[in-house]
Amino acid sequence: MTAATTIELPYGMSSLADGRSDERALVIAAQRGNADAFATLVRSHQRRAYAVCRAIVLTHEDAEDAVQEGFLHAFKALDRFLPDQPFGAWLYRIMANASLDLVRRRKVRDADELPDTVPMPFRDPGESDELRRRLSQALTRLTDRQRSVIVLHDVEGFTHGEIGAMLGIPEGTARSDLHHARAALRRMLKDVRSDL
Amino acid sequence: MTDIQLFSHDDDEVVRGLRSLYAAPAGDAYWNELEARIMSRVADVELGWWTELDRWVRPALAAAAVLLLAAGVAMFRAHQVEADIAAETMLSSPPVPVSTAIRPALQDEREARIRFLFGR
Repeated sequence: MTAATTIELPYGMSSLADGRSDERALVIAAQRGNADAFATLVRSHQRRAYAVCRAIVLTHEDAEDAVQEGFLHAFKALDRFLPDQPFGAWLYRIMANASLDLVRRRKVRDADELPDTVPMPFRDPGESDELRRRLSQALTRLTDRQRSVIVLHDVEGFTHGEIGAMLGIPEGTARSDLHHARAALRRMLKDVRSDL
Repeated sequence: MTDIQLFSHDDDEVVRGLRSLYAAPAGDAYWNELEARIMSRVADVELGWWTELDRWVRPALAAAAVLLLAAGVAMFRAHQVEADIAAETMLSSPPVPVSTAIRPALQDEREARIRFLFGR
């Protein structure tokens, strides 16, 4: 795949990505090596891709890294993608895998280098109110998967099926994780909510 | 049921808190920069020598297969021609003369004398 191809796509064709067939055309053009087409796909999906990664990793910086890794993987695997499939679902699965890899690497690194430190996962220097502070703490007490599921579902609006596909777990497991995560948060935030 | 009530409304404090914590960076400048970084890494992949090598692997394999086939056909034809020439040479060569042994007459006389002497 090289940038030296003859397929012409007008610059700033983000509106083309609105429709499924337009996205299919972009994917085909990108598969033929059109860098502008791939850039348009990046532009169309990077916010959602960031959201997926951010739900899985612990920090904004890690989410940025995972998004870049994810798009790189997607670019390398583009030849194997069938254009008739939904590109977004395929891409977000790659993003989720890149994020999970990053989380695993971080865990290994932290276990090797910082055995006694507890990471502060949520970089939010501006947070002031009690609920947000307690919410940050409560989220650290969930399992990685529970936290990912609740954020993907309640913040990003993905369905249980989509979450299951992204994280490589059955839909029922995603549903169960969501239930347990909500119950745990409700329990941990009970007192602060009653103070509000 | 309680958890459904807790999380079912968009304006719920916890959901708002989650959305606030997980909010994506705002502003086009950030996203433009991220896109540029992604595309820069993609361009690095494109320019890698292994990618160029990868591009040439299939044509090279096809060319090697064609060469092997051509070499095989040429060898087969050469062998065929060689066999044809050998057969042709064998068929067209003149018959080998048959040599006949003739007993010299001198030896016959001598033998007859010996038989005569010892036969007595």
